[in-house]
Amino acid sequence: MTIFHSMNTTASALTAQRLRMDVISSNMANVDTTRAKQVNGEWEPYRRKSVTLTAQEGQFSNFLNVAMGKTSKHGVGNGVKVSKINEDTETPFKLVYDPTHVDANEDGYVRMANVDPLKEMVDLISATRSYEANVTVFNANKSMLTKALEIGK
Amino acid sequence: MDLFGGTISSLENGLSYATLKNKTIANNIANVDTPNYKAKDVSFKQMLNDAQQSSITANRNDVRHFDFSIKQSKPGVYSYENFRARHNGNGVNMDAEQASLAENTIYYNALIDRVNGKLNSLNTVIKGGK
Amino acid sequence: MVINSVSMMTPPTTVNETNKHSATPYEAQQSFAQSLKNAISEVNAQQIQSDIKTEKLINGGDVDLHDVMITAQKASITLNATMEIRNKAVEAYQEIMRMSV
Repeated sequence: MTIFHSMNTTASALTAQRLRMDVISSNMANVDTTRAKQVNGEWEPYRRKSVTLTAQEGQFSNFLNVAMGKTSKHGVGNGVKVSKINEDTETPFKLVYDPTHVDANEDGYVRMANVDPLKEMVDLISATRSYEANVTVFNANKSMLTKALEIGK
Repeated sequence: MDLFGGTISSLENGLSYATLKNKTIANNIANVDTPNYKAKDVSFKQMLNDAQQSSITANRNDVRHFDFSIKQSKPGVYSYENFRARHNGNGVNMDAEQASLAENTIYYNALIDRVNGKLNSLNTVIKGGK
Repeated sequence: MVINSVSMMTPPTTVNETNKHSATPYEAQQSFAQSLKNAISEVNAQQIQSDIKTEKLINGGDVDLHDVMITAQKASITLNATMEIRNKAVEAYQEIMRMSV
């Protein structure tokens, strides 16, 4: 664990939250997209994306050393990372009645993207809050290290 | 001649505790949105007493045997098996962590200040006030 | 053990001196030399410690910043202390040499 271990942890969190925000932006941007990809010759609307966050535990060498009883220096963890960006296949597409739409089916219904703007906004606020909290941690850390550098001056 | 006994070595212990706690807080806050993550904390007494291992350990004759000592991954660091988890299994209390962070920073700064004071006064004494 | 009162009549009894005697000049010199040697080896040990930690810091190893700084300060203080001891010893020597016989 180097002196910058905590900063690396926070940096990983900032990256993960940033990626989460990017995914949310993509969802919001595509709220009206009816032609996202072709499936069996038919256009499918945009499917909402989300991220899966997992905690990073530590390098394999750490676990090996702990198992061999050499050190017990693991367990603080190494931050977080985005392990997957999933497409939401469970939420059904929204059906909007608009017979004049190019992609309307025989009944006049258009399948819209399964993005709920309200939900995305809430997610965005949560991501922003986490991002800010991590920035606070980073600043606290930096001030601690700077203070340590002044020992003996 | 042991110039650095007593208070200075306790100050050093306190500083390692504060550094470790800072790392755990950073990790907790980083994982505030991770599903099934349980918050970690550092045990104060243990760090200060330089405890190496928990006294209750499993008799492991095979490396595959699980060690069931109190869930510690490092002297002093342990996980909360939280009763209050959010819907995604996450057990990090953001407000408590922020408060801990502020408290820990002040603690660390105070210790550094004291260490500085003691070392500087040693220096002054040795140099004879010159 | 009866404690005898001291009076002008009784001659002073000799104290058993086998277990304590004033140090001979040779012994004094030896113990001083020993403590000087100890001081110097301690300075060396501290400096080596400080170097090890600094190397770890340089190579991004498992060390805390406050640890490195404190060890460096300790090494510096020990060095200063030994320097002062040396200075005082030399001063004392010169003082003695200056005494007219």
